[in-house]
Amino acid sequence: RPAAPPAPVCILVDSRCIGNGAELISSLRRSAGATVHVCSLDGGYFIVSGRMAAERHSQSDLAAMQNRKRLAERVNGLLGSFERVCLIVEKDRTKPGEASRPPQRTRCYDSTLTALVRAGARLLWSDGAEQTAGLLVELARLEQRKGQGITVPLEVKGQHRQQALQLYLSLPSVNYVHALSMSHNFRSIGHLVNSSVEAIEKGGCMSRARAEEIYRFLRYSCDSVFMNTSKAGKTS
Amino acid sequence: METKAVLNAVPPYGHVFATEKWRNSPLIQSLKGGGVRILFEDELGLADFHLPNKSCVLYVSECDVVAGNGYKRKLVRYRNTSSHGFQELVLVEKTRLSEQYFGAMQKLVVFDLGLTLLPVGGQAEASQLIAQIGLTLTVPPSQVHGVGRENPFRRRTSSRLLDPLVLALVQHVPGVGRVKALALLERFSSIQQLCNAAPAQLEPIVGQAAAQQIHGFFHKDTAAGT
Repeated sequence: RPAAPPAPVCILVDSRCIGNGAELISSLRRSAGATVHVCSLDGGYFIVSGRMAAERHSQSDLAAMQNRKRLAERVNGLLGSFERVCLIVEKDRTKPGEASRPPQRTRCYDSTLTALVRAGARLLWSDGAEQTAGLLVELARLEQRKGQGITVPLEVKGQHRQQALQLYLSLPSVNYVHALSMSHNFRSIGHLVNSSVEAIEKGGCMSRARAEEIYRFLRYSCDSVFMNTSKAGKTS
Repeated sequence: METKAVLNAVPPYGHVFATEKWRNSPLIQSLKGGGVRILFEDELGLADFHLPNKSCVLYVSECDVVAGNGYKRKLVRYRNTSSHGFQELVLVEKTRLSEQYFGAMQKLVVFDLGLTLLPVGGQAEASQLIAQIGLTLTVPPSQVHGVGRENPFRRRTSSRLLDPLVLALVQHVPGVGRVKALALLERFSSIQQLCNAAPAQLEPIVGQAAAQQIHGFFHKDTAAGT
């Protein structure tokens, strides 16, 4: 009996990717093996599994010193809510008629690459939007084979459930897939709040460490002194 | 030769271990030109270089890529036999000639073997990158306490202050703004306590209507199929 074709993989795309990544999104949509779901994440990245996020950057992005701080913040943010973070480095587009010549390899570029590797980010290399789409699908497929694919329903219907999803997203270190899983697997917010670490781990489809962090956070006793001194409403 | 122990030592700061075959290469010349000291070692296993920050490098030249197959077996063995605790890097020459094989190469190195692949244009670029990996990000002993050398991409593990995060979460309850959230957390200091408070306990703080609404929000069904 021939093996059944693998179930299409699911890729979540931040709505912010649409503006500057129209070509990539349409390549993704064309690819038969993937369903694309656009949602509002907190940055221009893709989610290919419950534990892996991917972001695309142009080579010149990585080579520019002035981008370094912002890039570091973004990668750090992603490393906080995903076990695996992948950067797809895309070759810069050449204008028609312009001779394609490789950009001068700068010291800043090398040191940014090195720092990313040391921080545990995975790097992939792409020649353009079409190839990037292929790499994203490939990543999602690999994660699916490892049992990490996105299987939770993506629709969250009704105002109350939408509000609950937003609340789950404000938990520390929780990504969109965890929040979706929680909103589908817990009867109510109160049910999550009073759940054991094991139940959070299972219901949120997340690692033990992350479940423990949430468990502790829900029981964390605030001190009004610290709440008043901080102007930051939402930092994650 | 297979039984020889692979050298596990990390070269001292400013030094790179290289295998003999690189002795007269442009890469080594250019590393030397950049002030890197080279120690030749033939016990590096399959790696071509060992760098001071505990990474090792396997170099796949344009020639290897174009000739095919041989390097694949080598990569697999590199992954399986490498020294314990080393970060394994694979430098691949991506040139006009080898470009067409790059996709397959990436699939093998990154997807199948889980190693880190860094494309370089040739030995000159490689030496620049190796110098960067091996030297600038390793803190020389004299600068151990210096600042500015730390990796900006390394996630800081120090704990964040949770209080503002709790406050922000409570403000996701409909009808609760900053003022009410502060008042509620003054009385019920954790999310769990607040969630489990009866409407009658919430009422003196936010009034009857809001008390019902908050309690309802925490306990209303959200599960699928309802």
